[in-house]
Amino acid sequence: MRRSLILVGVAVLAVPSAALAADGGTGGWIAPFAVIAAGIGMAIAAGLCGLGQGRAVASAVDAMARQPGAAARIQTAMIIGLALIESLAIYTLVIALILLFVKGINFA
Amino acid sequence: MEAIEHPPIFRLPGIPDHVTYTWLVMVILAALTFAASRNLQLVPRGLQNFLEVVLEQFQQMIDDVMGPEGRRYLPLIATLGLFILTGNLMSLVPGLAGPTSNLNTNGACALIVFLAYHWIGARKQGVLAYLKHFAGPVPLPLKPLMFVIEVISHLARPLSLTLRLFGNMVGGHILLAVIFLLMGLDGLIGWALSGSVAGAVVGGIGGIVTIVFTVGFLYPLKILVAFLQAFIFVMLTMLYISGAIEEAEHHSEHH
Repeated sequence: MRRSLILVGVAVLAVPSAALAADGGTGGWIAPFAVIAAGIGMAIAAGLCGLGQGRAVASAVDAMARQPGAAARIQTAMIIGLALIESLAIYTLVIALILLFVKGINFA
Repeated sequence: MEAIEHPPIFRLPGIPDHVTYTWLVMVILAALTFAASRNLQLVPRGLQNFLEVVLEQFQQMIDDVMGPEGRRYLPLIATLGLFILTGNLMSLVPGLAGPTSNLNTNGACALIVFLAYHWIGARKQGVLAYLKHFAGPVPLPLKPLMFVIEVISHLARPLSLTLRLFGNMVGGHILLAVIFLLMGLDGLIGWALSGSVAGAVVGGIGGIVTIVFTVGFLYPLKILVAFLQAFIFVMLTMLYISGAIEEAEHHSEHH
């Protein structure tokens, strides 16, 4: 299982460089890896952000069910908290956008 | 992004799109407020009534979050909120560009908030006393460390305000652009119109599904996000300002 995962990983990392070699190597080797990094990074960020927001919403709904009178205040606090948690995923989104769309980054 | 997003229909030569559409937002808001306040009446009706309801919402939020102290900051907060909300909604209209989907506009708004709440805090209690509060209630040897950490966290605030608004708007736009790309004449609908049987079946069904999905789910979601992000920006502004003011009250209690 683990071995096949490693194989898949190596294959995924090898494909762009092979494609690049066939391409003639224009634009450097960084661009295909940037696309992969953007995808994997955004996936990790979105998944963990979903976990964090799920915990926050669960507690907020719990609190609202216990104290319906305070529901409005709890909801406001929950929305602010969700925005703060979400902004961490948004940072990753911005990094992904920079990797995907900003031309002329020369890492090498 | 330029590869998949259509440029706005109306462009001024030599001026970036977000600046043009910032001006458009300004014109819309100024015209609305001018038309509403030209003939003020004790019993409001029509446009005046609508704008009064909108401003009362802002006032209600300020009263809830900041207390009666906050009413003097209503112009700053309501202006920011209305500008960002109009900009967010404008970016959803096909053929227009949204000023808030550009980093520079958001950065300008966030810098205004940053400077404003420090200015308010420093004026409320004096520069030295305000700076002292960055050190926090810790023992003396820890104070320099605390000060540095607080300064960094305060510097991160405008960054996160900027990037949150930008990322939410642009993320939604890219999602919409990709869906439209899949759906359009190069995609499913083009396949449905190409005349082949498989295209008519798969492309027709897929095109209908994506149209229903976009109009029924994605666009309402984007409208919700537009309101929510304006709300969050305004709410964080209020929290920052009330934080700067509360420190002042705390300070006067102790001394």
